Amino acid sequence: MSPSTPSPIAFPDIVLPESARRLRAEVRAFLDEERARGTVLGRPDSWLAGWDDGFSRRLAERGWVGMALPTEYGGAGRGFLERYVVIEELLAAGAPVSAHWVSDRQAGPSILQHGTEEQRRFFLPEIAAGQCFFSIGMSEKSSGSDLASVSTRAQRTTDGWRLTGTKMWTGGAHVNDYAIVLARTDDAEDRHAGLSQFIVDLRAPGVRVEPIHLMSGEHRFNAVHLEGVDVPDGMLLGQQGDGWKQVTGELAFERSGPERYLSTFPLLISLLRELEQRPPTAEQLTQVGVLTARLHSIRRLSLGVAAALDAGSAPDTQAALVKDLGTRLEGTLTDTVRSILPTPADPHATPGTHPELLAFALLHSPGYTLRGGTNEILRGIITRGLEQRR
Amino acid sequence: MNTHTIDTGTPVIPADAYDTTVFYADADAIATVTNTTAPDAVALPCQDASTAELLAAAQEAGHRAVPAPLAETALVARPLLRRAGLPVPDGPLSYAIAPELTIRYAHPAASPVGSAGCLGHDDSLLVTGTLRRVPWARAATAVVVLATAPSGPVLFTLTPDQAILTPGGNLAEEPRDDLHLAPLEIPAAQVRRISPELLDEARLRAALARSALIAGAAERCVDLTVAHTTARTQFGRPLSRFQAVKQEEARLIEEAALVRAAVHAAAAPLDTGGAAAHFTVAAAKTQASASAAEVTRIAHQLHGAIGITRLNPLHLATTRLWSWRDEDGDETYWAHRLARPLTATALWPTLTTTP
Ligand SMILES: Cc1cc2nc3c(=O)[nH]c(=O)nc-3n(C[C@H](O)[C@H](O)[C@H](O)COP(=O)(O)OP(=O)(O)OC[C@H]3O[C@@H](n4cnc5c(N)ncnc54)[C@H](O)[C@@H]3O)c2cc1C
Repeated sequence: MSPSTPSPIAFPDIVLPESARRLRAEVRAFLDEERARGTVLGRPDSWLAGWDDGFSRRLAERGWVGMALPTEYGGAGRGFLERYVVIEELLAAGAPVSAHWVSDRQAGPSILQHGTEEQRRFFLPEIAAGQCFFSIGMSEKSSGSDLASVSTRAQRTTDGWRLTGTKMWTGGAHVNDYAIVLARTDDAEDRHAGLSQFIVDLRAPGVRVEPIHLMSGEHRFNAVHLEGVDVPDGMLLGQQGDGWKQVTGELAFERSGPERYLSTFPLLISLLRELEQRPPTAEQLTQVGVLTARLHSIRRLSLGVAAALDAGSAPDTQAALVKDLGTRLEGTLTDTVRSILPTPADPHATPGTHPELLAFALLHSPGYTLRGGTNEILRGIITRGLEQRR
Repeated sequence: MNTHTIDTGTPVIPADAYDTTVFYADADAIATVTNTTAPDAVALPCQDASTAELLAAAQEAGHRAVPAPLAETALVARPLLRRAGLPVPDGPLSYAIAPELTIRYAHPAASPVGSAGCLGHDDSLLVTGTLRRVPWARAATAVVVLATAPSGPVLFTLTPDQAILTPGGNLAEEPRDDLHLAPLEIPAAQVRRISPELLDEARLRAALARSALIAGAAERCVDLTVAHTTARTQFGRPLSRFQAVKQEEARLIEEAALVRAAVHAAAAPLDTGGAAAHFTVAAAKTQASASAAEVTRIAHQLHGAIGITRLNPLHLATTRLWSWRDEDGDETYWAHRLARPLTATALWPTLTTTP
């Protein structure tokens, strides 16, 4: 290997635009206002659990929802790196961002890329206004990691499609407006070829949303029964048969963002607050230092993927790498906090106190390394990516 | 019968297997190395290279296990000499930061009002003690020492032949020599008073140089492991086809990527200094040292028995990693330095001071 051959583990240089500094200060000022209102509570996993449509709308008023969408569709026309700055600030503060999360991260960019002009004009301005919230309808009971095996069907009708099947673990389906549903449109020989994506109105007749409770008792996700739901032609997203290509094309966006390592960051803040009460022990200092070094290093990798995306490439291997590292850190952080400041995790303690936040982070912890593609699957992608370069 | 041959007469162990120079066969622009006693053969990066370029060179040196103090010279000794206003000698250099020495002025009685202040007529020093485990001391044209004199922090140079040298080595058998100074007079021309900040910068430079070497060696572990698991077949398939192998290999790759990212993050801050330099370098060395265990564990596990022998170059990387993680401050030292200034309100702004 010579210095000129790019290493498979090399990420591009990160240069944040000058505007990012100003933007960061603006977001911090906004968060201070929201803290004063009592909406930003420094809670872990706020992109899954913090649903607040009012907050989403106020954020959108600043131009910070769908901000990478072009201005002609109501977006702010800003870059990925600027969006990165905004969302990492929101997540670090534990702000309630889950209502618009999927719209902002996935549905918006996907509709922009694959949607018809009509779909863009209809959905994108609403997304950017924080008025239109999306869910992801991919997984099913028998299709998790092996997503291409989905059995939800879309049958041709005279002016559209009729969808039948059950989507599982659909986050926010009980409160959001639409879901992007992956369904089989052809029984092609190649099972990847027969899949298509549809925009499904979650209030449409034939949609039955059944709650699934998390072990904490929270209602965050659902089984979405599609019992012969009529979807007009205009709601097919992208080309018929391109569903698989479209889904996998989004992966780098989905996998490398700050939500893949910051979900438990608010717990570290809480720990430091506790440690300020008395002089820290050597072990506490060591562990805080080690965690911080790892957070910083993962953040740099994650920013590297954002820079690559900004430059127009699709760094899928690197994105998988960031997600495996980041989501493992989310769990390690929780375990470390527990071990260096022994406190019984208590879900009944006053909300926002350390024992309650610890309980919350722990109860959510198994999900970190499952959602969005399990870590075992990600590691397969990483080694394949590396071998292909040889 | 020769136990090193099998029936066909083909040697099991190639004749040159124990000649470690074969592993350096790809050394070119950065280092043309013949053997460890000919350090002059190492072409060091030019003096005006940027910090980022020097870090890349150090990383490459770590990757190739270059047997010469390239990082020590280019990233630590040379810049420190320049910052202190001393001439930079040619050839490989080394350093000793804050060693335990007894330092007095050499001519305390000559004049009470010389340029050195109240203690002597000049800054000549009389130094007694031992510089321990100096990297590549036996091969260095000069050793840069940063220590505390009666007047405060000083930087001075000495040549190894002025001291009694006890050879030593680290786990990779890189020279780590003790230099006994019993006592040694350092003429004023080789002494400069320095600010406490430069002493701290020296620590940061040494830690980051070492981290870059670690990043390179970690990447060597990745390259060797991926090559091995794709080439070696068991149960009729390459090892890399097995899920259990993939899972471990991916973690190895990730850990190496992490170290590299941490080192790169510190390049620009090192030049500008201040709190950002302190944070990013402390994070880099903490991460680099902490990752060494996982990197070496996985690389060895996936190599099987051949990895623990000199038949295979893996040891060049792993033995260096086991030593380098401790040198210039281990992860505990740097984690403490990293964590001490952090508070609940300072943590996030600190993490985001660099992009
Ligand atoms: C908090 C949370 C939120 C979610 N939100 C949504 C959502 O909004 N919409 C949606 O569509 N889905 C959602 N999901 C579902 C998620 O995408 C799936 O959980 C995930 O894809 C894994 O599928 P599975 O749970 O069926 O596990 P399985 O695929 O059954 O895997 C079980 C175990 O086997 C391992 N495994 C499987 N195949 C392999 C293999 N080939 N090699 C090695 N190991 C393997 C897995 O890594 C895992 O450890 C969510 C999940 C969670 C936890």
